[in-house]
Amino acid sequence: MATAHNSGYRTGLVDTKTGRISREIFVNDAIYAEEQEKIFARAWLFIGHESQIPNPGDYAAARMGEEQVILCRDRAGQVHVFLNSCRHRGMKVCRYDEGNTAVFTCPYHGWSYSTDGRLVGVPFFREAYHSTLDRTQWGLVEVAQLAIYKGSVWATWDPAAPPFLEYLGAASGFLDLQLDGWDGREGQAEVLGGVQKWLIPCNWKFPAENFSGDTYHNISHRSVDLAGIGPSGSGRRDMSELLAGRKLHVCIPDRGHQSILYLSPPGEEVRAAYQNTPVVAEYFRHCEEERRKRLGDKARFLGAPGEIFPNTALLSRQPRTMAAWHPKSPHETEVWRWFFVDRDAPSEVKNFLRDYYVRYSGPGGMTEQDDMENWNYAHAASRGTIARRHPYTYEQGIGTAVENFEWQGLRVPGRVVDITDVRSSEEPARNLYRRWAEFMEAQSWDELMGWRRNERAAAE
Amino acid sequence: MSDPINIRALKPGTRITLADGAVAEIVSNPADGVWVFARYLQSPRDPALVGQEEMIFAQDVAAIEPPK
Repeated sequence: MATAHNSGYRTGLVDTKTGRISREIFVNDAIYAEEQEKIFARAWLFIGHESQIPNPGDYAAARMGEEQVILCRDRAGQVHVFLNSCRHRGMKVCRYDEGNTAVFTCPYHGWSYSTDGRLVGVPFFREAYHSTLDRTQWGLVEVAQLAIYKGSVWATWDPAAPPFLEYLGAASGFLDLQLDGWDGREGQAEVLGGVQKWLIPCNWKFPAENFSGDTYHNISHRSVDLAGIGPSGSGRRDMSELLAGRKLHVCIPDRGHQSILYLSPPGEEVRAAYQNTPVVAEYFRHCEEERRKRLGDKARFLGAPGEIFPNTALLSRQPRTMAAWHPKSPHETEVWRWFFVDRDAPSEVKNFLRDYYVRYSGPGGMTEQDDMENWNYAHAASRGTIARRHPYTYEQGIGTAVENFEWQGLRVPGRVVDITDVRSSEEPARNLYRRWAEFMEAQSWDELMGWRRNERAAAE
Repeated sequence: MSDPINIRALKPGTRITLADGAVAEIVSNPADGVWVFARYLQSPRDPALVGQEEMIFAQDVAAIEPPK
């Protein structure tokens, strides 16, 4: 396969070698339609979190690309993801955001499905269908593969997609920072409250690129920094623990995932954070001490914004949230944002974090408002005939990423740009669009798993 | 035509008469307004159904039996 790096998606649209990407990929209707088939029907997508559906019969609305799905736990405790569409005439069988049910009943003609997806109720089955309809063939459409990783639920429509952990590759470490406890215990996260959902008038790739590790736009959050919404009463985050070491762009090149990571020096003292209230500050000091004991050298990694390809944003520390950028049209994105806390954190900590999270993120959050202003106006100003003739530039830091990056005894996976001194690079965005172009060009998953070919070649 | 029955309000244990003359007892109610789970007590049209539990469609519920 000719890789996007060499040929570009439809040559001239995505050229990561020169760092030029056409605005067409953000605003073109035909490209958007192709994305639904080539990307959202094939990639692993973030669905939600098990803590949203703790009990048998619990369900929560979710999305995969443009389509609505149901995340549910059946009566036997098994987690499922179904297309929210009746097999008879397509009506939504679940019209609530969340709840508990014995069956999903279509309000149109009354077809009814059990929580494991079986068609169990067909009106006039004996009379009108003469008992001949094969109900086993008409259950809810279920995803081809589902994976639960430390409580987070992921799914893909494509049976040929690699298993989820293989899809993640070394990016599983990004998710560990997101989902493990502040004290380093595995999978302690739970969703705080409901999922925030709202619409923004821009293409889904604007926020996906931003969360891939755009540190260049920090200037647009200057007013938030000045307002001092941070958990210690200044800035928007506690920075002393982050700035003690190296700030890195870490890209997993054959998977399309990328993140900012901070790497602390070994033996670093626990820096003061969350200083707004004594209880919260003491809780986090204690957790950080425990984390270091538990994880050893690995505790030197501190999380920051990142992106799991294609449309899941990570933010593992301040604030600790995940987001999915669901495409609605080329020009509209439905944002879903989950806020996370450790399930056994004291209520005072959870309440403090809730206030901090919502003043930072979401439609009312000051930082996300800044971001949305940028994405929305950039999109609108890129739709015109003249604007479309002029590509964006992604030249920052071309050729500076290295493999086998190591600092003070700790090796970092993937391709890394140390941005501590250079302040910024666009390697994460190039990594995102390289993978995007590969998905758009590839006819099958076989073409998308270059790592398997490399492993086979290495073994021969 | 008799008034339609709001099957959402039917509690487990309630006896209902169905359109084909069968009598069933409600076992559980998902409260979706469309279905109830019920066990057949009498079924003149198909005696084999007696004792079986089935989902009963709202439009098939003809009457509520008075409590005994």
